[in-house]
Amino acid sequence: MKRVVLIAGLLVLMVAGLAQAKTTVEFWHAMSGSRLKVLEKIVSDFNAAHPDVEVRAVFTGTYEETLTRFIAGYRTGTAPHLVQVYEVGTQTMIDSGAIIPVYQIPGMLGETWDWAQYVRPIVLYYSVDGDLWPYPFSSSTFMLYYNKDHFRQAGLDPNKPPTTWDEIEEYGEKLIQAGVVSSVLSFGWPDCIFEQELALHNYLYADNENGRADLSTKVTWPDAFSVKLFETWTRLSQKGIFLYGGPEYDANAAFTAGKISMLLQSTSSLDGILKTAQGKFEVGTSFLPRFADEPSGNSVIGGSSLWVRKGQSEAELRAVWEFLKYLSQTDVAIYWHKGTGYFPTTNAALKELMDSGWFVESPNHLTAFLQILSGRQDTAAALGARLGPFPEIRDYIRTAIEKACAGTLSPEAALAEAAAKANRALQEYRSLIK
Amino acid sequence: MEARFPGYRLLPYILILPSIAVIIVFLVVPFAMAVQQSFYRTSPFGTTTLFVGFDNYSQLFSAPEYVQSLLTTLVFAALVIGGGLALSLAIAILVTRKIRGVGFYQVAFIWTYALSPAVAGIIWALLFDPSVGLGTYLIQQLTGYRINMRVSGTPALLIAAAAAVWNMLGYNICFYIAGLQNVPKEFEEAARVDGASPWRTFWRITFPMLSPTTAFLLFTNTIYAFFQVFGLIDILTQGGPGGATEILVYKLYRDGFIRLRVNYAAAQSVLLFLMVAAMALFQLRVTTRRAEYSR
Repeated sequence: MKRVVLIAGLLVLMVAGLAQAKTTVEFWHAMSGSRLKVLEKIVSDFNAAHPDVEVRAVFTGTYEETLTRFIAGYRTGTAPHLVQVYEVGTQTMIDSGAIIPVYQIPGMLGETWDWAQYVRPIVLYYSVDGDLWPYPFSSSTFMLYYNKDHFRQAGLDPNKPPTTWDEIEEYGEKLIQAGVVSSVLSFGWPDCIFEQELALHNYLYADNENGRADLSTKVTWPDAFSVKLFETWTRLSQKGIFLYGGPEYDANAAFTAGKISMLLQSTSSLDGILKTAQGKFEVGTSFLPRFADEPSGNSVIGGSSLWVRKGQSEAELRAVWEFLKYLSQTDVAIYWHKGTGYFPTTNAALKELMDSGWFVESPNHLTAFLQILSGRQDTAAALGARLGPFPEIRDYIRTAIEKACAGTLSPEAALAEAAAKANRALQEYRSLIK
Repeated sequence: MEARFPGYRLLPYILILPSIAVIIVFLVVPFAMAVQQSFYRTSPFGTTTLFVGFDNYSQLFSAPEYVQSLLTTLVFAALVIGGGLALSLAIAILVTRKIRGVGFYQVAFIWTYALSPAVAGIIWALLFDPSVGLGTYLIQQLTGYRINMRVSGTPALLIAAAAAVWNMLGYNICFYIAGLQNVPKEFEEAARVDGASPWRTFWRITFPMLSPTTAFLLFTNTIYAFFQVFGLIDILTQGGPGGATEILVYKLYRDGFIRLRVNYAAAQSVLLFLMVAAMALFQLRVTTRRAEYSR
């Protein structure tokens, strides 16, 4: 009897030892809702295919919360191996001293890797001096979603969505007059729409080439363009056309419930919106609205990317790298794109999607691609800003939009108030990093 | 001490040591660190630290939004404490009457306290969603006024206060029901025999007899309105629109954890501590002196 116990005990120890040999990769992310299921499937498929690696994907709240937790984790030595950080956290991560730029990882492991295989605008957004720092995973941009059924009811052509802000206003008045809706348009991530509109017209957001040549010292607004933009939004709000719908994804519910007809939102909401609207109404998508008499720029890459923490063992780094390579596989990249609406990140995945007729089958998945590939990519203004205290500045811009739309402050005063705070933040950041 | 523990001079100190240790580790040390942090400025990842003296404090006092946040907090606290206690007392009086099914009513009013502030926040956010909310719809039908709590500050603050009162109602009613049951019936009967109106009886007898309960609730509700509503605000409004519901504790969180200004937030936490400590002392002094304990 004693011997049986002893053998059983040894077996338990051996199994435990085997489990120990597995390299664990902690991965913190901010994917909720329909995106979460898609990500979890990818992670479990990877784990099944790699018995020696265990990627543990942990949902750590919103992007803001995830970044905060990563910082806290890093300062207390409990940070994960891999973390998903939203695009506005990019400069903070670059300056953090807490990460390994991904372009260095293959070299560290004695491998080579073709970084040019990723879709160009994404690479440009996340590169420092031509080298990619985070792994480009969940990239998105913003586009116009509209309810084609509403357009038909108001006697508008469902295949002629508005191109300019003037048309938004004109269509909005028609939709309200026809009694289809009582408010027409809402934004997801209002602070981000402001960034998009500046880049879309090739205007800088901050000095020093949008923070890409050197750390920015001040923001460029309020200038004539940003004031015009704010005035337009305020006017639309007063007319009841624009319904301010709160931060992030709060406005999606109004759109999918048919309470509004148009929504400016991230492409990452595409599949969520299509699924919810299925059987209820036909969803159309198009480019972001612009001003007819202003220069052309481009929509900006948004969403988030994956950062590799510094200070890992070689086994851990190798496991992380295996996982990142797995995400670059054509089938995985396609699965991710089809399930979420995020860009497929590799050119091979893009080609296969085209060859298989996916973009004909679901043209809404092509919209954002055409928008970003057709825009200019040669100016810092069109590429979008990269600022250290960007999360903070976004918060100030959002407050400014709320104050302008509520009429608490004039558009220019609201922008000026936000700019003063943003400039203080940029100065403080410079004093700490320089 | 010696009188109670003859021959054991050190024993009482050893016995309270665990509590003291907990207080030091979890309250005194973090507070001392917050005070220290408030004199520095640190980069997000803690790579650079600069000594800035009173700069964080002077920035606070020169920032109009801090004063605004202070005013918002006072208005919010007044609504939550004043409105909440008055409403709870009124309901408690109604549900302690001899009526059929009183147990049902009592439970119906108390259960809201079983919900966490986060859940309460989700319920109220759905109710007053600007486009699909039932509350928004009903108010529009009744008054023709369409509220959008994501844009207009005053409705947002009122909705947040209403949600906070609603969430705390059960707790307050519980204590008031208990308090009312301790008011000797003879006093009220005597007053009635003497021909006092119910209104007069309430203000002259019931309310003063309830003062220990009110004093206690005043204290817990202050803590609630200043700190515990955090989850509710976070889910309902995130401090918006335009900072209209950014009460002090929520501003501290946003500055420290979203805007990544840890040291600025530390300065705020020091000030908030001083304010609440002063208020707590004041309340304890005033209410313990004036509360009529029936012992």
